[in-house]
Amino acid sequence: MTNLSRRQFLVSGAAALGTAAFAPEALCAVTEWTGAKSLPADITGHIFKNDSPQKPWKWSKPGFSYHTMPKDVVVCEICPHGCVLEKGDRSICRSKVNINGVLYTLTYGNPCSVNIDPIEKKPLFHFHPKTRAFSIAATGCNFRCLNCQNWEISQVRPEDIRFQEMFPEQVVSHAKQENAASIAYTYSEATTYFEYMIDTARLARKNGIFNLWISNGYINEAPLLELCKVLDAANVNLKSFDDAIYRKLNGGRLDPVLNTFKTLHRQGVHFEITTLIVPGYVDDPEMIKGMCRWIRDNLGPDYPLHFLRFFPQYKLDRLPPTPVSTLTEFRRLAMKEGIHYVYIGNVPGHEGNHTYCHNCGRLLIERMGYHIPTYNLRGNRCKFCKTVIPGRWDSTP
Amino acid sequence: MKKRIERQIASVVIATGVSSVVTQLLVIREFLSQFQGNEFVIALILFNWLLLGGIGTLLAGAAGKKAGPGRLAWISLALAGLSPLELLGIRGLRETCFIHGSAVGFYPTLAFSFLTIAPYGLLLGFALPYSLATARNLLPAYTGTRIYITDNIGDVLGGALFSFVLVLLVSPLQAVLIANLPLLVAACWIHPSPLWSRSSIAPMALSALVLLAAGAAVEKSTLVLAGKQLAYYHESLYGRIEVFKDREQYTLVLDGKPMYSSENTNIAEETVHYPLSQPNRVNTVLMISAEGGVMTEAEKYHPESVDYLEIDAALTDAVFQFGLIKKIPGLHVIHQDGRAYLKKTDKKYDAILVNLPEPDTFQVNRFFTDRFFMLAKNRLEPGGILSFSVEGYANYLNDAQIEKISSLYRTARLHFAHVLMLPGQKVFFLCADFPPSTDIPRRLDEKKIETGYIRGFYYGNLTDDRIAALHRRIKPDAPLNRDYAPQLIRLMFSDWFAKFSTSPKGFIAVTALLLTLYLFFITREELVLFSTGFMAMGSEILVIFAFQMFLGYIYFQIGLIVTVFLAGLLPGAVFGESLRRRSRMVLLLGDGTLIGLLILFIAAVIFMGDRLPMTAYLLFGFAVSVACGCQFPAALYLQGSGKPAAIRAFSSDLIGAAFGTLITSVVLIPYAGIAWTAVALILLKTISFIVTRTGHDKPF
Repeated sequence: MTNLSRRQFLVSGAAALGTAAFAPEALCAVTEWTGAKSLPADITGHIFKNDSPQKPWKWSKPGFSYHTMPKDVVVCEICPHGCVLEKGDRSICRSKVNINGVLYTLTYGNPCSVNIDPIEKKPLFHFHPKTRAFSIAATGCNFRCLNCQNWEISQVRPEDIRFQEMFPEQVVSHAKQENAASIAYTYSEATTYFEYMIDTARLARKNGIFNLWISNGYINEAPLLELCKVLDAANVNLKSFDDAIYRKLNGGRLDPVLNTFKTLHRQGVHFEITTLIVPGYVDDPEMIKGMCRWIRDNLGPDYPLHFLRFFPQYKLDRLPPTPVSTLTEFRRLAMKEGIHYVYIGNVPGHEGNHTYCHNCGRLLIERMGYHIPTYNLRGNRCKFCKTVIPGRWDSTP
Repeated sequence: MKKRIERQIASVVIATGVSSVVTQLLVIREFLSQFQGNEFVIALILFNWLLLGGIGTLLAGAAGKKAGPGRLAWISLALAGLSPLELLGIRGLRETCFIHGSAVGFYPTLAFSFLTIAPYGLLLGFALPYSLATARNLLPAYTGTRIYITDNIGDVLGGALFSFVLVLLVSPLQAVLIANLPLLVAACWIHPSPLWSRSSIAPMALSALVLLAAGAAVEKSTLVLAGKQLAYYHESLYGRIEVFKDREQYTLVLDGKPMYSSENTNIAEETVHYPLSQPNRVNTVLMISAEGGVMTEAEKYHPESVDYLEIDAALTDAVFQFGLIKKIPGLHVIHQDGRAYLKKTDKKYDAILVNLPEPDTFQVNRFFTDRFFMLAKNRLEPGGILSFSVEGYANYLNDAQIEKISSLYRTARLHFAHVLMLPGQKVFFLCADFPPSTDIPRRLDEKKIETGYIRGFYYGNLTDDRIAALHRRIKPDAPLNRDYAPQLIRLMFSDWFAKFSTSPKGFIAVTALLLTLYLFFITREELVLFSTGFMAMGSEILVIFAFQMFLGYIYFQIGLIVTVFLAGLLPGAVFGESLRRRSRMVLLLGDGTLIGLLILFIAAVIFMGDRLPMTAYLLFGFAVSVACGCQFPAALYLQGSGKPAAIRAFSSDLIGAAFGTLITSVVLIPYAGIAWTAVALILLKTISFIVTRTGHDKPF
C-alpha cells in the first residue's frame, strides 16, 4: 500500500465524502433528467463485417438497386441507411450481402412466416373491408425497434431460421387458392426483401390480386416509385414525430419516413398511418398536434390515422400500457387538427374502432374486432349524406 | 489496554459484517428491481459480489506494517458512506446508462453490476484482512481465525437483522442507515484521536451520517417511471411493489416490471375465458396469482368460490386498494405458497388457473414441473381443467421458444390426456382429461358470456392454421421439466439470450480461463478452502432449492436456513481452532463429513422427498456450515501464521463461494438436476480430500 501522509489522507477522504454527501441530490437530478434523455441516444444497427456466406444460395438474387465502387465495394440503394459493404460484409438489415463485388439479397423466395389474416389486422380500415390478405414475411429489418412484435424474424439472418420455399409464382398461386383478395408484405420489414416483394407484386397485379405494403416507411424514393407502380395500399408506421425518439427507440430517422408519405401521396397510393403511443416517449400532446398538422398540410385530411395502444413488449417491457384516455384525447386532438378518420387500436369496444362519416358524423362501419356488424356505405359513399369516403371500397363488402 | 484493543477490533469487524450483509441483500434486491430477475442474473450479482470481495482481499496483501486503527477507522467510514451510494448509484446509473423502460441483456448487466459493485465490494474485501493486519500490528498473537470468527458473528447478526427485522419495518435506504450506525460508532471508537481533538474523525463520521440520512430522505424521489405519479410504494418480504398513476390508469409494477394494469381487458379475458369456457360446470376456481381484471371476467360464470392464492399479502393489499382486481362474491384470498397450499388442501376445483411470470427462477419454475402438474391434477374435479401460460410470439416461433414450449407440453402431457396450446403474445396451455375446444367464442356463446376482445379478435388471430402450426412444432424429444431436474430453467436462459441476440459462451470461456489460472497458482490448503467456499454456497443453494420444491416458498423459514448456514461457521471455526495442531486431520474430517452429509442429503431427498421435515434442512445446513467452518482455521494453520497466508485463505474462501454460486445455479442444477449437482459437489470435495491426504506437512 502506498504510504499516505495523515494530511493527504484527511484531504482526500474529506473530498471524497464531501462529493458523496451531495451525490443523492445529484443522482436525483440525473435520474429525473435521464427519465427522458437517457443513453444511448441512437440504436441504429451496424454493418456486419465478414458475415456474408461464401457464395449466393438458392434464395439469392442480385440486388434491385445498388452501385459499385472501387475495390468491389457496393452501396445498397434500397433504404436511407445506404449500407456501404466491402466484400464479405452484410447489411444492417441482415438481408443483403456483398459477394465478390455483387450485392445479393438472401431473401428471395424463402418466407419464414405465411398466414392468412383479416385485412383489418394490418390495420387497413379503408381498403376492401372484410377481405383476407395472404400475408408473407422473409427475415430482416432496417430498424431495431425496442418494442418489435416480430423480433424473432426481424432481428435474425435469413440463414438462421426455418422457412418455406415459395417463389413469386407460388405466392400468387397460394393466394389464389386461399381466395385472398390481396397479398400483404408484412410482419418483418418488407423493404428488406424488396426484390422478392416487387417481383411477387408485379405478378399479383397481373393476376388481379392487390398488393399491400406494411412498413416502417424507411425506403429511398427510387425503389418506392418502382413499387408504387404495382402497389394498391400501404400501412406505414409513423413511429413518432421526433427524430431523437426515432433514433433512440427505433434506430432510424424521421425525415425519410415523411418523404415516403409524400411519395405515396403523390403516386396516388391508398395508405393509412399507424402511430404506437409509447408512454413516456410518444405521448406528448404537442408532438401529436404537430404531427397531425404536418399530415394535414402535406398529405391532406383523408388518410386514416391509427393510434395504437402500447403494451410492454420485447425489450421495452418496463413501461406501462398506454392509458385509454390518452388515446381518446389524441383522437380528439387529431380530429380537431382536421384529420377526418382517426382510429384507436388495441382497445376493444372503443368508439375509435368504428368509421364515422366526416361530413354527417353518422356511423358508417361498426367494427367488433374483425367483424363488421354494421356497414353503411353504398359503393364509396356515405349511405346517409352521399359524401365520398376516402379509400378503396367494394360495392358490397 | 490489550482487552480494549481487542474489543475495538472486534466491534469494527462485527459492525462491518452487519453492514456488509445488509448492504449485500439490499443490492441484490435492487438489481432484481432494475434488471431481469432470472436465476442467471441473481447468480451473476452474487458472483460479482463475492469475486470482488476476494479480489479486494488479495489487494490487502500490500497493506503491510502501516495498518493501524486510524486508517481502519477511515476505511470503515468510507464503507458506511459507500453503502447508500451503492444503492443510489444502481438506481441512477441504470437510468443513465440504459434506455428508460427497456430491458437489459446479459453482458451489459454483467458489466454494470461489476462496475457498480466494485467500489464497495473491493473495499469490503480489503477491510477484513486490513483489520487483521491492524490487530497483528498491535497484538502479534492475534490470529486469522479469530478475525474469521468475529466476521461471521457480524454476518449472522446482519443476516438476521435484515431478514427478520429491517425488511419488515423499513425501506432499503433506511435499512442502510440503521445497519451502518454501529459501524460509524465502532470507527469513532477505534480511531486513536479523541473526538474533540484537531485530528478527530468526527467530521468524517458526521459526513458519513449525513450521507446515510440523505439517502434515506431522498429515497422515494429516486423511484421513477417517466412522467408517471408514484401512487404507492412498499418493500415487501418478496420484492418491491410500486403503483404508478397515469391519468385514470393505475399500473402495479413488481420488481421493476409492470404486472397489473387497471385497463388491460385483453389479457384478463384470455386468462379467464380460455380455460373457464371449457368445463361444463364452473363452481370452484383456484387462481394461483392473478392478472389485472381477472375477477371481473371470472364473475361472469357465477362461481360459488374463487380462491385467490398470493404469497405476498402486501401485493393483494395494493391490487385491491387500486381496483386492479375486483372483490367478487365468493372470493377468498389466501396468502400462502401455491404448492404448499395444493399439498395441504383437500378441496377440489373445477379449474385451476396459474398466472405466474416466466419460469426463469427456481421459485417460479416449481409451478411448471411434473410434480406440480400431478399435484394440480389431484386437486381437480373430474372434468376439471388446469391452465397456465408463458410468453408467446406473434408470427414465428424460434428454436428457443420451441424447446421451451415443447418441454412444457410434454411435461403436462404426463398427467393430462389432452393439452391444447393456444398461440399469441402468450401461449396458453389448457390441460384436461377431455379434449378442450379450440372454438372458444362458440363455447362462450353457449354459456351466454359476453366478451370484447375474444368475441372480436379470436377468429382472426387464432386461426386453425396457427393453432395447428404450433402443435406441429412440438419436439417429441424435448426434455421434461422435473422437480429434481428443472431443465426448463436452462431453456429459459436460451430464450433470454436469443432475445438479446447474444450468447454466454464468451463469458464462460473467460471465466473458465481465469478459474483455471487461479487453481493453477493456489496451494493445497487454498484449494481446500476454495472447495469449501464452493461447497458452502453450492449446498446452500441446493438446500433452498429442495426446500422450496417440497415445502414451498416460506419466507421466514428460508431466512432461517440462510442464517443457519452462516451460524454453523462459528462453532465450526472454534472447533477447528481447538484442534489446530491436528489440522490435516481436521481438513480430512471436514471433507469426509461434507461428503457424507451430501450423500445423506441425496438419499433423504430421493427417498423421503416432501416427508422431510423443516428441522432436517436446518440440521443439514448447520452441519455443513460447521464442517466448512472448522476447515478454515485448519487450512490457515497449515498455510502458515503470517498475514499473507491469512489473506490468501480469506480470498480462496470467497472466490470458491463466488464460483460455487454461479456454477451451482446456472450450470449444475439446470443442466444436471439436484442429484447430480450433489454428486458434483461430492466430487469436488473428494478431490480436496485426496489433495489433503496426499499432501506433505508443510505447504508447498
